[in-house]
Order: sequence, then C-alpha cells, then structure tokens
Amino acid sequence: MVSRRGFLKSGGLALLGVGLMGGIPGFLAEAAASEKIISPYKKHKTLICIFQRGAMDGLMAVTPFTDDYLKAARPTLFMSAAQSGNNSPLIDLDGRFGLHPSMKVFEPLFREKRLGIVHGIGSPNNTRSHFDAQDYMESGTPFNKGTASGWLNRAVGLLGHDALTPFTAVSMTSAMPRSFYGDNPSVSISNLQDFAIQMRGNPMGANMAAKSFEDLYDQTSSNLLKQTGKESFEAVKMLQKTNIKNYTPANNAVYPNSALGNSLKQIAQLVKMDVGLEVAFAESNGWDTHFNQGAGTGIFANNVTDLSNSITALWADLGAYQDDVTVMTMTEFGRTVHQNGTGGTDHGRASCNFILGNGINGGLVHGNVQPMTTENLEDGRDLAVSTDFRSVFSEVADKHLNINNDHVLFPDWKGDRIGVMRA
Amino acid sequence: MKRTVKYLCSVGLLIFGTIVLSSFFAGNRNGRPFKFPYHQQGLTERQAAAHLLSRFTYGATPGEIDEVVKSGLENWFNQQLDASLPDDSLNQQLAKFDALKLSNTQVVNEYPKNFQVLRMAINAGVVNKDSVKADQKAYRDVLQNYMQQNGMKPEQELFRQFINQKILRATYTNNQLQEVMTSFWFNHFNVSITKNDCAQFIPAYERDVIRPNALGKFNDILLATAKSPAMLYYLDNFTSSAANNDVPPNKGLLRSQLMQNRPDQNADTARRVALMNKLKKAKNLQGLNENYAREVMELHTLGVDGGYTQQDVTQAARVLTGWTIYPIGQYGKLGKDVMAKIGDDRLENQGFVHDSDFLFNANRHDKSEKVVLGKHFGPDGGYQEGVQLLSMLAHNPATAKFISRKIAVRFVSDNPPQSLLNKMTKTFLAKDGDIKQVLITMVSAPEFWSASSVREKTKSPFELAIGSVRSLHASIEQPYQLYNWINKMGERVYYYQAPTGFPDKGQYWINTGALLNRMNFGLALASGRITGVKIDLAALNNHHEPESAQAALIAYSKLIMPERKLDETIKRLTPLLTDPNLAQKVDEASSNKLYAKVNQPASMSMTALDKAIDDNKKGKRSNNVMAMQGTEGSNSMLGQVVGIIIGSPEYQRR
Repeated sequence: MVSRRGFLKSGGLALLGVGLMGGIPGFLAEAAASEKIISPYKKHKTLICIFQRGAMDGLMAVTPFTDDYLKAARPTLFMSAAQSGNNSPLIDLDGRFGLHPSMKVFEPLFREKRLGIVHGIGSPNNTRSHFDAQDYMESGTPFNKGTASGWLNRAVGLLGHDALTPFTAVSMTSAMPRSFYGDNPSVSISNLQDFAIQMRGNPMGANMAAKSFEDLYDQTSSNLLKQTGKESFEAVKMLQKTNIKNYTPANNAVYPNSALGNSLKQIAQLVKMDVGLEVAFAESNGWDTHFNQGAGTGIFANNVTDLSNSITALWADLGAYQDDVTVMTMTEFGRTVHQNGTGGTDHGRASCNFILGNGINGGLVHGNVQPMTTENLEDGRDLAVSTDFRSVFSEVADKHLNINNDHVLFPDWKGDRIGVMRA
Repeated sequence: MKRTVKYLCSVGLLIFGTIVLSSFFAGNRNGRPFKFPYHQQGLTERQAAAHLLSRFTYGATPGEIDEVVKSGLENWFNQQLDASLPDDSLNQQLAKFDALKLSNTQVVNEYPKNFQVLRMAINAGVVNKDSVKADQKAYRDVLQNYMQQNGMKPEQELFRQFINQKILRATYTNNQLQEVMTSFWFNHFNVSITKNDCAQFIPAYERDVIRPNALGKFNDILLATAKSPAMLYYLDNFTSSAANNDVPPNKGLLRSQLMQNRPDQNADTARRVALMNKLKKAKNLQGLNENYAREVMELHTLGVDGGYTQQDVTQAARVLTGWTIYPIGQYGKLGKDVMAKIGDDRLENQGFVHDSDFLFNANRHDKSEKVVLGKHFGPDGGYQEGVQLLSMLAHNPATAKFISRKIAVRFVSDNPPQSLLNKMTKTFLAKDGDIKQVLITMVSAPEFWSASSVREKTKSPFELAIGSVRSLHASIEQPYQLYNWINKMGERVYYYQAPTGFPDKGQYWINTGALLNRMNFGLALASGRITGVKIDLAALNNHHEPESAQAALIAYSKLIMPERKLDETIKRLTPLLTDPNLAQKVDEASSNKLYAKVNQPASMSMTALDKAIDDNKKGKRSNNVMAMQGTEGSNSMLGQVVGIIIGSPEYQRR
C-alpha cells in the first residue's frame, strides 16, 4: 500500500531539493533561493475559503425554480421567481435558477461576471454524517479517514516557496480547522489583537516582557524555538504598524456584526497590510435547518443574508486588492429535496457553492443539475452530486494560486475540471 | 559562606543518595533487575532524576527531584509502573464531579443530546412539534424546564466535569506515569468530542477502556477499544454489516415512495406497511463500512507501511461485521426490550455476544470465509473471528515496530535512534506486547539518557500548562480556566477531529500564534491573572525574600527549572532587570508602539515596574526587594520574572 502520508514528505523534500541537490540548473536554484528572501511585503494572491458548517440547502439558496417536482416536494419552502403578494421573489439568474432574495447583494457581482455558482457540487462519498462529510471535504480524501493533513495545508506546501511570513496561512478560528491540519506552517487565531504580548493594564510591563522574550528566544539552542520566536515577534511588529482595533473598512463597506463578518473583516485587514497572506479560512455556522427553515424570511434567510453581506462587504473593502483575491464557499452536503414534517429539510447530497473573484468564469450557474425525477435523484431522494468538490477546488487553487499538483492536493482524485475559472 | 553551605549540602545529598542507591541497588521486576545507565552518559544522579521526571510525569514539583533521588531512580520508576500509590486528596477533589462515575447507560439517560431531549419532549407532549423554534426563547425555556423536571442535564456539563477531572488528575495524581500513558493511548486510539455520535461515551472510554489498560498488554487495550461504544461510533463500525443480496436495493427510493404515500394522501395502507418493513430492513442492513478496519491497521497496529493491502482492509472489515453497540439507555429502549425478550441465553445460542455495552450481532455478521494477511477466518467463526484478527494484528512484528517507535517518540525524542527502537521492538515481541516491559527496556537503554535526548522534546500545550502549575505549586479551583488556555495554545484536548490524534512533534506545537500564547500564558499565570488558579510565589521560595532582582531571577529560575543549565537565561535576563537604562529602553519600545497595548486606563495606579522605572529615571537603583514583590501580587515584578521564565524557550523543553 502506497503511503497516504508519503506525499507530505515528498512535498517537503522537493522544496529542500532545489537548494541542496546538484543536477538542478543553477538559475533555477538561484531563483528558488531568491524567492526565500524576497520581501514579505510583495503582493500575493490570496484564496479565502469559507466553510458553511451544517450543510447549506443549495436548493433554497439557488433554486431551479422551473422544476415542478421540486415545487411539489416543498409545499411551504418552495419560492417562485414571480412576484406574488408581499413576498420577494427569487432573483432570476438565467431563466432556470433563482437566487434567494436575501442574497440580493450578490446579484450585481453575478451580473458583472465576478461571481460564479456551481450547483450539484458535493462529495463522491454518500455519507450524510456532518462529521464524516466535513472531515472528508477538509482532508480532501473522501474515502480515507486517516489522512493526516488538510487540503489547504497541502496547498500551502505547493505554493512553490517556503512560507514567507507568519501569515501565509491564517484561519480565523479558535481551533485549527481540519483543512489546516498538517506540516506546513499555519496559524489559527480568532482575534488579531491577540497577536501581542499582553499584560492587562500594564503596557510597560508588557514591553519589558516582550523584550525579554525576544532576547531569550534569540539565544536558545533549539532551532525550532529560535526561528519561530523570531517570526512571532516579526508578526507582532507587522501587525502593530496598523491600528487593528480601530480599523475602518474602505469604500464604506459595512460588515455584519457576526462571527463571519468579523472574520472576513480581519482577513481583509491582513490582505491590505501586505503581510503575505495566501490562504485564509473562515467559518459560518447554523446551516443545519431541520426545523422551520423558513423561506423568504426566517432562519435560512438570515443565514444567507449574513453570508452574502459579509462576502460583499469584504469585496468592497478590498478595493484595489480585488484582483488578488478569490473567495470560495463550501459546505459538507446539501439537503433533502422533500421538506420534512417540521418545516425543514434533512441531510441530503449535493449543494451549491459560490466563487467570487476577477478571474472567475462568472455570471453562470455551472454544473449539471438534472430535472428532478425520482430516477434522477440520488437514492431516490436527494439532488445528485454531479460535480466532485475536488474538481472545483483544484481548478480554483490552480488558476488563482498557481497550484497545479492535483496528485498532492487531492491524492485519490482523477477527474476533469468544469471551467469555473476563466482560461 | 553561602556557597560553602551549598557545596556541603550537595556533597551530603550525594553521599546519602549513594547509600540509598546501594541499599536497593536497582529496580526489580519479574525477578529481573534493571539499572539506569545515566552515569555512562555523563549525567549526575540529580540530572538523571530531573530527566526521568520530565519524561514520565507532567513536570517535577518543587522538591520532587530530592524525593526521587532519595527513593532511588529505579525504585521510583517501579512504583510508577505499579501505579498503585494512594490518591486520597485527588479523589476528594474529584468527588464533587457526579458525572464521572456514571455508566454509559446513565450518561445517555442523564445527559441526553439536544435532539434526543427535543424528541422526548415532543413525545411527552410538552412541546408542540409545529411550534418548535417559532419562539426561540420560550421554546428553550420549556425544554430546560422539561429537562430539570426529568433529572436531565445538558451534555456540555458532562464534558465540563470530564475535562476538569483530566486537568486535576494530571496535576495531582501520584501515579503520574499512568496518567501520562493514559494520554498517550487516548491519543493513539483517538476519538473526538467533535463527533456527536460518540461524544457522550468518551468519559467512560477514558475511564474504563484506556486508563485501566494504560500499562497493560497491547492486545488487551486494542480489544477493549475495538469493543467500546466510543470507538464503534467514531469509526463507524457499529453500522457495518454483511453486504446482503436480499437487501432491498435502494432505501432512499423506498423512503421517497413512502413520502408520496402518506396516509393523508389516501395511500394504500397495506402497501405503506410493506414499504415500511422493507425500509426497516434496508436500514438494518446498510452494508460494509471499512473505516475502522482501515484505521485499526494504519493507525492502531501495523502502521501505514505495515504491509497490508486494500484487499486486506476489505476482508478485515468483513471479519468485523456485526461488532456493534448494545442498545443503550432510554433512547435505545425499544431495541433493549427486544433483546431482553429474546434473552441473553437464546442470543448466545445464536452466536450473539453481549458484553456490557458491546454487542456482537450474529445476524449482521458476514459468515463466509475471509483472508487477512494470509490468515483464514471463518466460515462461521462468529465473534471469535474478530478477536483472532485483532490478536493477530497486535502480535504482528510491524505492530511491535510501530508501537515501539511511537512510545520512543513520546518519551525520548522526535527522532529516536534506530538502535533503541530495535531493543524495544524485540521486547515487545518477546514479552507479548507488555507495555511495562517495553518501557523498562527503553529506560534501561543508554539512548534514553544520551545528550541527544535530554531536553529534546517540546512540551505540548497541555504539558506546559500542567507542568507550570506543578512547578509553581499552584492550587486549581477552576480547572476549566486552564483548559481554555491550553486550547488557546493549540491543543484542544478531546476535540482533535482526525483519528490520527495530535501529532507528537515539536514542530506541530510551535507556531507563531501558539508561541505568543505560551508567553502570555506564563505572564498570566505567574501574575495571578488566571481566574481560579492561585499561586504563592513567596511560599515557593520558603518565604525567603530575594535580596535583589538578580537574586530573585536566579532563585526562581532554579526552583522552576531544576538541574538545567541556566547561565544563558540568567545572563540574558539580568541586564534587563538591573539595567539603569531600562526605563529608556522601555520608552523606546513603547514609542515605537512595537508591543504596546494602548487600551490602558488613564487612572491606572502605579505598578511596581512603573515605580522601578520611575526610580530609575530619578537615578535611584531600583532593583530592590520592594520593587520585586510590589504591593499587589498581580502586577509584581516578581510575577513578571516568573512569567518570563515560564514563557522562556528553556521551559518549553522537557
């Protein structure tokens, strides 16, 4: 059995090899060496991933509103694109798919072809367990539980250079997400203000302690501690250049006062500080809508309001940095075509996701959603997975971050891309 | 004068130690004495004791090195292997946690999951199914009332008690090695609270499956984990059953047919009942799940390079079909009633095995013949097939190698020498996977004591936090506060999602964010800013007031990091404490706004450090005792010095 973890080792060695081994053309070695000492303040492409935990109902977010089967299966949840009474109708995207009205801020981005949607996206593993499905999506190996690393951590290893700054890969979460597990440097932090030596009410004491620590870490015989200590204090200094606490978003962007809004606001700050951020991760919770999901208003509508407003605020705030950033959402699976007995939906299969950026083949609903008949549904009940999530993730990583080693990124996957990014 | 006394003391101790040592001579286990070869590696007995404590405890407490030297290193280790020292005061502290003694059944009944509560409440007519979540607050109140009236508590409370228990036990148990090994095996056979299905069984998993087997035979702990509800849920084996050709093809299809055939739609009742039965059957026979079979080989026994194939995984999964959970608690009442009705005797006759919460369900077992790693299982071998499979895996040379390496990585260094691994592997195979014997072989090897292993491990956040509390003789009133810090430093114990468990290497723990949090943890702990964790720095030094800042630095460095070379640390820190230009430097630093936190209240009272700086500005030497100890513990310079020691690179190593 080929080692599933072998790729980690080989990934690391490949980088080392450039500098150490003979056989490599001198100019390449030089290029590689210079790459390591370039200023961290160089502009980088940044991929921001947002995990919607709990499984978003893709059929309500982006509804195939001409589908009569769906309409019949969802007596109270189905929404129409036609105006009726006081209810806001779906936003008709292309005559077949309608965007939930609470995501109206997405419409201009879609019309400008910056926002793309993939429908029918999901995992080849048909588990309906949140835990397992998230685990598989984040490890990027839908049939292997024991994969030690997450796909975004492997992506960091494939950037083609060492992590240049402490902020190469940042997860705005209190604990390291599964996507970030692995050997490549990454940090999880829920609040950038924590990036400092702290002594409450005693800033001078904090200064002195910081100086002492910097000194001590500089002299230690442990290479690991010495190097990381150095990077830590560099990180602190980088952040102190900006007033993080009193940050004012650009272009009058208003972030929702929510967990996701705060995460994206801080990610925007890092992008604009040019601290070398290349892979960022944030979470959005509350998508497991078994009860009273609501339609035009309610739990689901609130969730998509937060999601779309947070992302749109980020986009506006980024301003001139928009060219460098791609935002991609993901969720572990979709929900049942039929609504259940408590006004909600249960665990299903395929969902949809959103990709925003200037390199996106936008203004389209990608994928291959079939008309919903019992035969077309997976297990006779769920929207079938017609696009493997790895197809989309790998294309976005390739086109945006120039990572094109699928063998390492998604070891077990051999599939085709579907053109979500512009060629 | 002082120096002479110290010298005499250490000579005295050395003589005393030698006498004690010669009287016991060496450890003795199963009639075979062992002796630790640290002298050959250039370590003094005290240095050896410090190393021993750094590896087999959660950190030396003040004076513990003396105790170990006094009883003899080998004797101390033997005692730790026996793990039978009384723990009266710890047990007293734990007595208040009423959830810790509950069986899985009691846990399921008393700490039900939210959705279970909801369903029970709906069934009891307390909550109206349709009004659920219409009014969030009212709905929550109703549920809360319902829980209270029925003696149920939120699941979170179970985890809180469980985690508090772990912090207290790791800090205070006298049987430190057993607890260290419990953490080791828990991580090796990882299960995670993040997986909802298995979460509530995790406290009993650690208590009944891991801890009692932590210093036993490998085969026993492997079998115990395989049969535990936590593992059966975590790696999905509870659902795994023979792939049966009689199974209706598509349960999703059945369900949607059922949906379309609701009674209110005038459906044919007979047809509906038939569909229901078919669906039930489909649900019961969901087919093969390979997750456990794969991970038991890759992660628990052989290792990823252990020489098995995908074919072996599938075959092993078939061997383990039917290994599932006996219906538990109120929620499993229906299944339990059925089981009880049939009776254990009759079940046994049909090949079922009911052992506590474990059930071997013969009806779900794949009865045909299988071949794993060349060995044949069945046909019709029943429960024993799985037992034999696990035993075969436990005794495989690849397993001996894999486990020996993992133990050596835990206790020796991130890259243990091959010569040591060979010795341990040999013992593992010769002694039937006896973990005590493997540990003895490891500690009896020169490699354990070599310069390339001493201080070479990086403390995990848990080890750092517990070790600091032990170093400072702190008393813990709110263990969960420490847990929050441990999370912040990057180790959310019991919540690691992947079955690999936390990686055991320094590189994993040390990243920029985590390192800053370690420094902040040191400062917070030593200055008494962690709620519910009390320290008394003066008592730690027997209420001897250090004469100067420098004296304090030396005294406390030695107390907290005994038997370490501290020259460099002290050298680096001394100028900072005594430097007449300290104030200027600090000013510089703060004017650069490098580290300053600006949200300082204007009316803040002058702290000891501020005073020291102020005095410095006025040309006074301020490194005196007053400045060191300050008036309030929270802002004292002494606290700061100790905090810096805890956050220093030297203290991150063990």
